[in-house]
Amino acid sequence: MISNFIHTTLVMTTPILLAALGGMFTDLSGMLNIGLEGMMLASAFTSIFVANATSSLLIGILAGLCLSTTLAAIMAYFSLSLRANVFVVGLATNLFANGLTVFLGVSLCKSKGTLLFLNAPKLSNIQIPFVKDIPFLGKILSGYNALDYSAIILTIICYLVIFHTPYGYHLRAVGKDPRTAISVGISVYKHRFLAFVLSGLFAGLGGVALSLPLKIFVGGMTNGRGWIALVAVVLGQGNPFGVFIASLIFGASSAFSNMLQALTDISPKLLLTIPFVITLIAMTVYAIRSKKTYE
Amino acid sequence: MKKLEESMRVLITIIIALMIGVLAITLTSKEPGIAIKYFFTGPFSSAYFFGNMLAASIPLMLTGLATSIAFSASAFNLGLEGQVYFGALCGTYVAYELNAVPPIIAIIVVLAVSFAAGGGIAAISGYLKSKWNVDELISSLLVSYTLIYIVDFFLEGPFKDPAAGLAASPYFNKKFVLPKILLPSDLHIGIFIVLAIIILFSIIMKRNKFGYEVRITGKNFRFAKYAGIPVKKVVIMAMFFSGGIAGLAGMIDILGIHGRMIRGYSAGYGWNGIAVALIARNNPLLVIPAAIFFAFLQSGANVSALFSDVTPEVARIIQAAVFYLVTAEGLLFFLKKKRMEKGQT
Repeated sequence: MISNFIHTTLVMTTPILLAALGGMFTDLSGMLNIGLEGMMLASAFTSIFVANATSSLLIGILAGLCLSTTLAAIMAYFSLSLRANVFVVGLATNLFANGLTVFLGVSLCKSKGTLLFLNAPKLSNIQIPFVKDIPFLGKILSGYNALDYSAIILTIICYLVIFHTPYGYHLRAVGKDPRTAISVGISVYKHRFLAFVLSGLFAGLGGVALSLPLKIFVGGMTNGRGWIALVAVVLGQGNPFGVFIASLIFGASSAFSNMLQALTDISPKLLLTIPFVITLIAMTVYAIRSKKTYE
Repeated sequence: MKKLEESMRVLITIIIALMIGVLAITLTSKEPGIAIKYFFTGPFSSAYFFGNMLAASIPLMLTGLATSIAFSASAFNLGLEGQVYFGALCGTYVAYELNAVPPIIAIIVVLAVSFAAGGGIAAISGYLKSKWNVDELISSLLVSYTLIYIVDFFLEGPFKDPAAGLAASPYFNKKFVLPKILLPSDLHIGIFIVLAIIILFSIIMKRNKFGYEVRITGKNFRFAKYAGIPVKKVVIMAMFFSGGIAGLAGMIDILGIHGRMIRGYSAGYGWNGIAVALIARNNPLLVIPAAIFFAFLQSGANVSALFSDVTPEVARIIQAAVFYLVTAEGLLFFLKKKRMEKGQT
């Protein structure tokens, strides 16, 4: 029971964590990308649709990442080159992805509801030999799909990149003090653009993690995860492990909501509010503790 | 000159967005000629379609106004979807309970309740922002997600009409439904109420002390603070009015068209309201044509879907394209630069 809960928590954490890692790069560069939700959604649809059409997981995933990264690049171009307000472009991205996926769903699959992609290859759960046989721990450590494992590995890689490579130093310099960065010859434009592209890649992976394991797509299936990921970015304070812990809290609240739906008679609609309420509380507590006054 | 440039930019935006629409129709339709013809002319082809287009613009005018008030104070109210929906639920419930009250009084009470409900919800985010600097953009959105589920819960359970085949509340007294003006279309006298509200807020924002304080706070927060403007109060009030007007948007639609609350009936009013406010450059009066334009895109797609093989969802692509294009502050600047570069070579 407890091991099941932890297992579900980690599975629910994956899409949020992946998107949040992406958002973290834009946050570090000094321009928070609020289009994560839309990028996830676009990739969720494209990856499962293409995987279904080509019977290849890899091509599906790549197609999803292509679209989400393109959206990210468009966002970067609009906000960096055309001087558009980055929040407003983010909203446009979300709205566009929402409209596009519904439109494509209707025109390509002739259906508005839940789209089933039964021909798509299965993203199987990997059982780690020996580890899976350990009582209790086996259930917690083993039996996740490749995306779940890669989310954890990517967290570690992001940590190394941000704190132990020249790129990481430059990125943080750009975010903390763009003027000084320019004066020592670091291109603010390039780093911000790259940060957006990375956020597109990561958010795209987050979207893939939503649709591919289930082999379905539903309009608006990201259901606020992109926004919850943004809160994880803020709470993580630019540290991938901080982002991981924040994402874990939100993953746990989703798992908790799922568990109560299975075990109790409480209306599922009310239980579905849990992740949002927890996120709001976490955000408020963080703001109170950091004691920044409004100015 | 600046005005001219501004209107040029809006015009270019609209033309590009319509071209994207034509492209989307051409790619997905087997008879694009007919589909495109109905898309552009359909909403004007009969009193029915024309009235429905105007009826669809009514809630967008209000959500557009709601957005522009919050944005003027530099407060991003992204919780409009939830405020519209929750305001409508509270109003519908009161309308249902006030069955025996004279219609005029009932309608006024119901609208006041929706205003207070939507406004109260938005004011929470304003308060969190003022008190602890909690980002209002995300907090209003999270509250909105929560509320949509809670409203759905009521419509599927405690406040569901057992006789209804879908998740909907019972009908309230038919006498409360606002009179129609262009039968057989859905257009109702709510449009005059909405126009009056817009004019009222346009005057408040331009001439009144509160409007002045909102604009100063939005333009330069520090300056406003040093000038002695109670900035915290101003932000909370701007969020309150914004949410309140969103609540009205939901309720006027119910009073004018549906006569009861239906699950998901208002999906998109909030987001499209943001786009409307952006096209209108946060100017309350310009919200009116911007909302009609957005309603035109939806109606054109709907009519076209009736007479040809396109899907009405094509409107969402065009609306999103408009949203994208209006964001580009430097769009015209960019075009000018290109022209200059060409001139030089």
